[in-house]
This record gives sequence, C-alpha cells and structure tokens, in this order.
Amino acid sequence: MRKLSKLLLTFAFALSITSSAYAVVVASWGGAYTESQKLGYGDPAAKKLGIPVNWVDYSGGLSEVKAQKAAGAITWDIMDVYAMDTINGCDEGLFVKFDFDKDFPPAPDGTKASKDFFTSMPSKCAVGNILYSWTYGYHDEKIGSEKPKTVKDFFDTKKWPGKRGVYKSAMHNLEMALAASGTKPGKGGKKIYKKLSTDKGLKKAMDKIKALCTDPNGGCVFWSAGAKPPELLMQGEVVMTTGWNGRFFNAEVGEGAPLKQVWDAQGLDYQYMVVVKGGPNEADAMKVIAEMTSTEGLAGSAKYIAYAPWRKSSLKVIEAGEPWYKDGKTNMLSQMPTTKEHTKSYILIDAIFWADNGTEIGEKWEAMKSGL
Amino acid sequence: MSSETKQILTTDGIPLEVSLKKVERRNKVKAFLLVSPLLLFLLIVYISPIVGMLTNSIDDRMVTNMLPKTFTAMEKWDGQDLPSEEIFESFYKDFKILVENDQHGKLATQLNFEKNGFKSILKKLGRKMKNFEERNYKEQIMSVHERWGNVDYWRAIQRRAPAYSYSKYLKGLDMYKDENGKIVQVPEDRRIYKTLWVRTIKIAFIVTLCCFLMAYPIAHLLTTIPMKYSNLLMICVLLPFWTSLLVRTASWMILLQQQGLVNDFLVWIGLVADDSRLVMMYNKTGTYIAMTQILLPFMVLPLYSVMKTISPSLIRAGKSLGGTPFIAFWKVYFPLTIPGIGAGSLLVFILAIGYYITPELVGGASGTLISNQIAYHMKYTLDWSFASAMGLMLLTGVLAIYWIYNKIVGIDNIKLG
Repeated sequence: MRKLSKLLLTFAFALSITSSAYAVVVASWGGAYTESQKLGYGDPAAKKLGIPVNWVDYSGGLSEVKAQKAAGAITWDIMDVYAMDTINGCDEGLFVKFDFDKDFPPAPDGTKASKDFFTSMPSKCAVGNILYSWTYGYHDEKIGSEKPKTVKDFFDTKKWPGKRGVYKSAMHNLEMALAASGTKPGKGGKKIYKKLSTDKGLKKAMDKIKALCTDPNGGCVFWSAGAKPPELLMQGEVVMTTGWNGRFFNAEVGEGAPLKQVWDAQGLDYQYMVVVKGGPNEADAMKVIAEMTSTEGLAGSAKYIAYAPWRKSSLKVIEAGEPWYKDGKTNMLSQMPTTKEHTKSYILIDAIFWADNGTEIGEKWEAMKSGL
Repeated sequence: MSSETKQILTTDGIPLEVSLKKVERRNKVKAFLLVSPLLLFLLIVYISPIVGMLTNSIDDRMVTNMLPKTFTAMEKWDGQDLPSEEIFESFYKDFKILVENDQHGKLATQLNFEKNGFKSILKKLGRKMKNFEERNYKEQIMSVHERWGNVDYWRAIQRRAPAYSYSKYLKGLDMYKDENGKIVQVPEDRRIYKTLWVRTIKIAFIVTLCCFLMAYPIAHLLTTIPMKYSNLLMICVLLPFWTSLLVRTASWMILLQQQGLVNDFLVWIGLVADDSRLVMMYNKTGTYIAMTQILLPFMVLPLYSVMKTISPSLIRAGKSLGGTPFIAFWKVYFPLTIPGIGAGSLLVFILAIGYYITPELVGGASGTLISNQIAYHMKYTLDWSFASAMGLMLLTGVLAIYWIYNKIVGIDNIKLG
C-alpha cells in the first residue's frame, strides 16, 4: 500500500511539472485587459494548438525579465509591453528578433503579415497587438451639470474644482499639458513632440502639471494600475482622471457605471507583444504568438474590450460581425479609439522620443513630484 | 611571589591552566559549531548580496571593456575642443566590433544614462556605418547626427572610462563631476534625492515619536490592569500585527479616503463641513497615520516586556518618600523604562527608514520615501548600479544611526524583556 501511494505521489508530481512545462506563460497588465486577452485570443489559441496558455500579471518595465535573465531562470515566454520597452529590450538582447513574414500568418485574403499591420514595428522584436488610447474620464452624475469636453477642461479647476488622477510617469501627461496650453495636436501631434524636445516646451508642460497639482482647488492623485482610474472616479476621490480607454469602456458598458470619457487630444498608443529569448517554452511560444496575433485572434479580443486590433483584416472581420461585443448588443467599431469621431484631434505617442529622452525627462518628473 | 606558588595540578597531573584552556577551547568550538549553520545562512543570504550590491554600484567595467581603443586614445584628450581624428577612428573601430556582436544596444543604454540622447545617435550610427568608407571618420560620424559634433557627448563618453567609479554615489546626492573634475550640484530641476533623504529621516523620526507617545500608555496599561483584561488587550495589539501588511495598508486607504469612513464620521458629528473634507490620503498625512499604526506593535512589545519587570512597590516607595505622583513617575519609573524605549525606538526608526509598501500606496507624491525611488530605478529605468548605490547609502545611514545611538545611549542599555 505504501509503495503504491509513493508511486502515485511521484507520478502526480511528475505529471504536474511536465504539464506546467508545456504551458506557455504570458505576462500582461491584469484586470479587464488581461481578461479580454484570455477570452479573446488566449483560450482560442490554446484550444486550437493544444498548448495551455497561462497568464501572469506585471506592472510594466523590463526589470523583472532582466532579473530573471540575470538569475538564469526565465519564467515568462511572451510579454505584453509598451513600445519603448520593445526598443530597450531588443537592444539589450532580451527578446527574440522576428522574421516577420515568416513568423506571422498572412491575412485571410493573402496579404503578407507585414502589410496587414497598420504601421511598421518600432523594433525587430515586436509584433503589434492592439491600439489603445490615453483619454480622460469623469463620473457623469458627480461632475455637475456642465460636462468637460476638451483637453483644456481637464486643467480648468475653476469650473470643475477637485482633484485629478494623473499617471505616475511623465508619458502622455506632458503631451496632454502641451495640448491644453495651446499647441494643437491636430492629426498625430508632431508639433507637440517638436515642442517637447526643446527645453522651453518641456518646462512649459511640467509647469502646467505642477500648477494643477499645487492648485488649492485642484490637486493630483497618481495612479499606476490600469484598474485604478475608474475606481478613483467611483470612490469620488478625484473629479477627473486620465486612464486607458478600454478600462473606462469596461466600467461603462461592461459594468454599467456612469463614467464617460473625453476623446479630445487622445493619446493613441500601440501595445506590442514580444517573445522572451531563452524562455522556458520558446518554440511553443512562437506558435502561440502567431496564433494570437492572427486575424481572428486580434478580432477576438475586441469582443471583450474596446482596444483596436492592429491588423486591417481584423477590422473587416469585426465590421462584418457587428454587434461584436460579448453582450451581443454593442457595436464595437464605434467604441474604438480609431473611429472618425474620436480621431478629430489626437496625439500618436512617439515611442522613439520616449526611448531616447525617457531617462532625463523621468528624472525631472520625479524631481517635480518630490517637490510637491 | 608567583615563583613561590606551586603549580596547581589536576588529577591527571596536567597543570590546571593548560587543562582549563583546553576545556575552554573545546567549549568555544562547540559553540561555534552550533552557530555555524546560522553564520553560513547569513553569509549566503545576507552578506554576499550586500557585497554584490557594493560591487554592482561601483562597477563600470562593461563600458570600459566595450571601448578599449577609444579610451586609450582619449587619455591624451583634454576635453576642451572636439576630439581628434584618431579618437573618432578608435571609436569607429570599437563600435564596429560591438555592432557585429550585437552588443551596441547595451552600450547605448549605458551611455544614455550618462547623457540623454545617446540612444538614437548610436542607433543611427550603427545603421549608417555599413556604408562608411576608409578614413575621414570624424567627418563621416559627424555627418550622421549633429550631436556627434557636440563636445558634451564626447566628454560623457570619457567620463565612463574608469573601470570603477563612484559617480552613482554622487548622483544619489544630486551631484556629479563636471568636465573640470569638480564635484558640482546637478541643475535645480533635477534635484530629487537630497530632499528625499531629508524627508525620509524626518518622517521616520516623527513616526517613531508618535509611536512612542501612543505605545507608552498602552504598555503601561497592559502591565497594571488585571490579567484577564490585559490578555484581551494584548490580543488587540497583536492581532493587527499578525495581519498581512498589505491588508492593513489597503484598509487604511478605505478609511482615509475623502469619501471614506473617517471623513464620513467627522461630517456626521459635524466637526467637518461636507465640502471641505479632510485630505488624509495620497499625502504625508496618510503616510504618518498608516505607518504609525503599522509600526505600533514594535514599540508596544519591548516597552511592555520592560515595564513588566518593574515592581509596583518602587513607585509606592517613591511616593512614600515625599514625591508627588508626577515626580515618582519621572524620577523612578521613567528611567527604568529607558532600555525598553531605546529598543522600541531603534526598531521602529530603522524599520520606518526603509519602508516601501505603505508610502507607495498611501503617500501619493509628497509622502514617498527614498525606498520608493530605489524601487523606481530598479523597475523602470533599469539603472541597477544606481539602485545598488542608493541601497548601500541607506544601509550606511542606518549603521551611522546605530553608531550614534550607541554613543549616546549605549547599546548595552537595550532590553527586549
């Protein structure tokens, strides 16, 4: 009897470690976004390929994967990263360099992968995932009778007194500050980045944020987790907050909260996926990532969250299948950051600008924050 | 005198001193063997990471080894005008090898820490270099991007020449070495760390003081009331202590919010108007309140242990000798509790200085401490040598405080019970 139970124990143990060794681990941002990824393209890919896909949360940055590499024990196969992290990580040799048209399937109508994605990738290690946007939101019932409509209204503490939620790093905050102080973003916001590269422009942007935070009628609450902005609005801790459009959408349509977004001068940003070099399951990870970023895969994620898929062919799939949202009632295309109404004035977050200047601007930003 | 005394012998005929020494040595070896697992554990888990941090913070060999020819050529350069053709050529040769081995990205990251803007010009150089022709490297490199013609960038490269440097420690104090080798302060809009060091010590000190003011009466109460109630109160002190730190911090977030329970209560009893609720979250106040509550048991327990050993008859004796209750307390009771106060304060202060989670969650921007900056550099800028340097500065600061405490109060004067 003892021998049998010992045998069963070792068998169960062996099974557990081997089955987990087969799974592909994806590190992503958590919350509603990871839910949408899991249901939209994670589980379908796992079912189709027969490879289990596990999801872990992280809060951005390359420090964890760099630490894993230094320790010689990499546990993540795929990561969902910011644009500048793909550049930095590729430079540091952390990620696998893709042979794009070979590694990724073409669109159903035969278009090569590299032509099916909206624009070219910032680095050889990245594959486009979704297009998301930095917008700002407010609580429809608590804001009062007048509703904010433009990016300038975010900084107007006379009409709408109260604290604002601001992202903890400088990215997007500075662009928004410049857009609100007269530099029109237009289509793409190139003028904003030109101004931000000058010392005067940078100082103007930082001063505007500092003024907002030290305003007795204003004040800033800094957030870092994507789920925090809707939470701050519901708790009444802030009167307006920047945030990611998909999280606001999820609160509004998915959970029925009375939150609304303002799309003026939205910060369009790209999200990418990378494969970690030397990950536990690199070969399977390549298969999984190709499946997840295929036409159906990316269209699938739009069922659960309002982020625009990168592939043009995915948009066609969504258009043909409207209403696309999981509740079967909402049209998704109109909720995307890339629709006509939302792109009257927008800023394309410049990854190369932030990869280059992130350190120095980051220092000045931290100095400003510590002086608050 | 000693020559007259006969040597005392043991029953074996060996002199007593020799026998004694042998026994003592054996006891010492036994004691050492008993402690050696702990010593080994501390060496592996505690001391070697600290030594690793130290080497990490001063180690700059990567850049030195990446640009050997450049640095040799730069030895004669005075840093005033643009470097000579020879330096440009050596740099080109070094960089070419790096590009071939795909290592130039790492160089770009390191140089970008030194001076902003290196990443893009190095990348561009890497791309354009394939079409370079022999000679005239200075002209060709400068034509890639205008920054290559800027002396400041070459000076920044030269600053990375030494294999070991303490520049990260200077950075941690908002200083750097300018081109003349003088140590100057960084421009005003980039001064972060000095304010943070001062703020960390200030907050730690105030938290220790608040903990002391609150813990002393609690500990005294615990020792004087009957056993039945004292046990119950002790559970009240210990139960939060056993709850997870994150749970306690998150609970404070709910309590101290603008629409949270504390504000709701104050509005209900009429102390605060509804539209001017107290702001106790995401600022220093939140940090003070949450940290005090979380570190309170560390002050209560040593004080309780020490107070328990003080016999109540001592106070009665003081009063019977003519002292007022206050004098009896101040002159008799208080000095006896100083060892406990010392232990509790040292514990709370040192813990508070290194605190990370609570300031991160409730401190907002004005209530964050130096450890939050260390975490920021570990996670986001990936400047690990700088994070190591700051960690070591924190450790040195704590050791310095311990040394000062030893001088003033004396470490033998600490009792934990």
